Amino acid sequence: MKADYERYHIAAKDAPPKIKLPPKFIVNRYNNCTNAQECTQACIYGVHELREDSQIAEPIQDLCRGCYMCVLKCPKGAISIGINPEFERLGNPYFSPDKIKTIYFEAETGRVPVSGAGYTGPFAGEGFDSIWLDFSEIVRPTRDGIHGREYISTSVDLGRRLQSLEFDENEKLVSNVPRTIEIPIPMIFDAPLSCRTNRNLQLALAKAAAGLKTFAIVNAREYSSDLTHYEANLIPRIDSDEIDEFEDLVKISQIVEVEFRGGEIKDHLEKIKATNPSALVSFYFPYDKEAPERADAIARMGGDIVHIHVDDGVVERDPDAIKNAIRSVHSHLVDKRTRDKITLIFSGGIAEAAHVPKSIILGANVVAVGIVYQIALGCKVCYGTMHSQDCQMNVENGDVELATQRITNLIGAWRDQLLEVLGGMGLREVRRQTGEVGRAMFYEDLEAKVFGDKE
Amino acid sequence: MMQKELLFQVPEIKPAPSQYPGSIEKYEVIIDRSKCSMCGICAEVCPSYIGASPIDYEAYKKPNGYLRLTVPKVSCTGLSCKRCVNECPNSALSVELSPQYLALGDLRWTADLILSTWEQAEVGRVSKKHEYKIGDSGGGFDKLRFEFELEHKEIHEDDLVDEENRDTSIVLNKRKDGRPEIKIPIPVYGADMSFGSVSLNVMLARAKAAEAWNTFTSTGEGGYPDVLTQYKNHVITQVATGHFGVNAETLKRARIIVLKYAQGAKPGLGGHLLADKVTPDVAEIREVVPCISLFSPFPFHNVYSVEDHYRHVQLMEDVNPQALISVKVSTPTDVDMVAIGSYYAGAHILQIDGGYGGTGAAPDIAKKNIAMPVEYAIPIVHNYLVREGVRDEITIMASGGIRTAFDVAKAIALGADGAVIGTAELVALGCKRCENCERGKGCPSGIATTDPALKYFIDIDWGSQRIINLYSSWKEQWSYVLRKLDLKNIRELRPNDEVQFRKGRFKHMVHLDHLR
Repeated sequence: MKADYERYHIAAKDAPPKIKLPPKFIVNRYNNCTNAQECTQACIYGVHELREDSQIAEPIQDLCRGCYMCVLKCPKGAISIGINPEFERLGNPYFSPDKIKTIYFEAETGRVPVSGAGYTGPFAGEGFDSIWLDFSEIVRPTRDGIHGREYISTSVDLGRRLQSLEFDENEKLVSNVPRTIEIPIPMIFDAPLSCRTNRNLQLALAKAAAGLKTFAIVNAREYSSDLTHYEANLIPRIDSDEIDEFEDLVKISQIVEVEFRGGEIKDHLEKIKATNPSALVSFYFPYDKEAPERADAIARMGGDIVHIHVDDGVVERDPDAIKNAIRSVHSHLVDKRTRDKITLIFSGGIAEAAHVPKSIILGANVVAVGIVYQIALGCKVCYGTMHSQDCQMNVENGDVELATQRITNLIGAWRDQLLEVLGGMGLREVRRQTGEVGRAMFYEDLEAKVFGDKE
Repeated sequence: MMQKELLFQVPEIKPAPSQYPGSIEKYEVIIDRSKCSMCGICAEVCPSYIGASPIDYEAYKKPNGYLRLTVPKVSCTGLSCKRCVNECPNSALSVELSPQYLALGDLRWTADLILSTWEQAEVGRVSKKHEYKIGDSGGGFDKLRFEFELEHKEIHEDDLVDEENRDTSIVLNKRKDGRPEIKIPIPVYGADMSFGSVSLNVMLARAKAAEAWNTFTSTGEGGYPDVLTQYKNHVITQVATGHFGVNAETLKRARIIVLKYAQGAKPGLGGHLLADKVTPDVAEIREVVPCISLFSPFPFHNVYSVEDHYRHVQLMEDVNPQALISVKVSTPTDVDMVAIGSYYAGAHILQIDGGYGGTGAAPDIAKKNIAMPVEYAIPIVHNYLVREGVRDEITIMASGGIRTAFDVAKAIALGADGAVIGTAELVALGCKRCENCERGKGCPSGIATTDPALKYFIDIDWGSQRIINLYSSWKEQWSYVLRKLDLKNIRELRPNDEVQFRKGRFKHMVHLDHLR
């Protein structure tokens, strides 16, 4: 008998990048080397190898992990190790070189990054870095999810929820239960930045979304015919002024995202529901001070999903922006008693695995992963300033499979890390994490409580 | 036991220099070959080169076209000297921070902290060349100062010599329950590090140093290797969720048993020992199959409530009626509730392991993001236990990110009785915090390794002397702090009442970010 239950699993497969990152360390050997070969003995990573003529070859920079054993063991002081300036120039202050290195590791292997020694970073930071996650100890049981010993669900529902069910006198359900779509991970893909979008990237994204059973957002104007095969996993994003133009896309999609540019929310909704009554409607707009009000209005009017975006460039300058955006929208909807009616998606500034549970704790249901998957494919986080000649993010015709696997690996690694966090917190499902700020500790609060004047 | 304490002699400092010919220097002298006339004046004026001949100045080409002087085993004293630069008739020299120094370390363990710890391990005292008190993490201990530190920025080396050698001892059992008090002469003992995460030689070196200082080290969760029994009076037996090597014998042997409920570096997760490091030796002691990754379960599946916790502690007390029970927990939001629970469960020692603690292998997401730093947890727990009126019946040992003698002193001033030291001991043995302990052969320095060849990098006698020297230097610094604060002993440094900062000040302490 065929089991009707299938445990969700993301299959990782090694997917080395087309262009490697520059190595973190630079190993120099000076010309006072006397070929004592102590370094070849000292290095367990194979940086220092012998040539065929028994002389020491040039150091293989890529393999160096900065242990300094060659420096210490060289009798002549002929070796030095330094940080590679090219590595340090990667990314920007927000997407730091180390973050990019981690993204590459996750995309290549699909594994959870594990390392020795304690944490090496700053005491605290801004934005997501000002949050520590809670965990269970003694009095609250944890769950052992990562090694499969206990089942933890990472599924979430997209769509509208009823606050209560109504029945008539014959105990027959009279409420019209709205449609929801369950996805097995609380992550969807945001549309790629427009600077380097091509059909191959869209295709890889669509394939990854289909394989992961989640969704990818595609700008309606870039929705090419070869994507229609993956229509079940694509969300077209349509400008609110242009809904009529993309009637065909609305018809075939399970979810339609309206990029809100003004006009009446109700009109947009009706237009889409008239064309495709079963489609879920998501409203997409950048965060501003009217965003909480607008989200509330959408919840009242019958929208299914609100997707609020904080520009990655804004988060780079002010890492608190995304944190504040999520908190203010979530709290506003809680105050207005409309929070549970809709699904909240946030995007922008999502740079590492921990940002997913942190966003959810702050109040998101789902996170739209954006620039990170582009970094995994070679994006240098220039926000369009370098233009095409330096841009290394180009998915060639033959690379779609590789790109798909790298995106899949990345999300697989992130899901496993989400499981680690949920397990540590003792949560059985990620749905229960939304808005649970009690499960987070905030730098500002602790600092004020312990070292400030506040009791 | 009493007798032993009376007979305790402070161990002697003996030089324990690096076992390698090369060194990592903070400064390097750069020579511009196009200007150098090879006159040798620089060698003559260099204070580090007294007695050396100009021949020692061997110039050679750097890939970028510059030249560099070799300085084998002789340290440049740095930017404050610059005599060679000033005396060079051709202005061919400059002194710069070396690329090694710039690449070494991280924000928590800066290159200076690593180098100063090495220096203390070698000679048993600090010098002014390296910053040895704080790191660069921008918060917690790195922003806390003793008030007297604001007056003089630097300690003069003479300041450290303390004829009186103040009392830095603490008592580990305050319950007066008939079990031994166990007094240790320094307010620290060694952290839990398993056989598997570190090599046997490292365990033995640590245990030998613990014996010399009449304090403790711990087995970690990886079992109790037989050779360690020679130090059994100074070895804590750990009971962790993997229960490796935990049996009646190893529990009865110990003067302290630690129940590890969580570890700061990976709270909410069990131990990780990746397959590469599970060698046949490690597997035998853990009673498992070699070359399989070991992920300990989490949590203790027999402890899901405070009542279970009580039974767990009582069980250990029953197995060994003479042992003190230490409860090792990490720092969730309700760490104060956990603490009071452990007090009522009967624990003698509460070890609070903060989120930035060390590990042989942990997911990066856990190291960075889970649990609060220990700098918050200490006063939160201390204050709660003071309010509950039980503070003086339990010993609080802080761990997780305590790197220096000053960190220990600050932890005590925030409300802990003492500290548990892990990474600093390994740095004394030559660790560079390269974060590569987890897989493959493990540690290239032969510390956090199980590779049968690499472990011989650490000689047991040499290693124990390095740790002894480090603690000698630390004791001198604690005496200095006590003298500056006019306190007779380190127990007086711990506040009796609640820790409450006002305008960035509390008793002897200031927090630079809140100072008004």
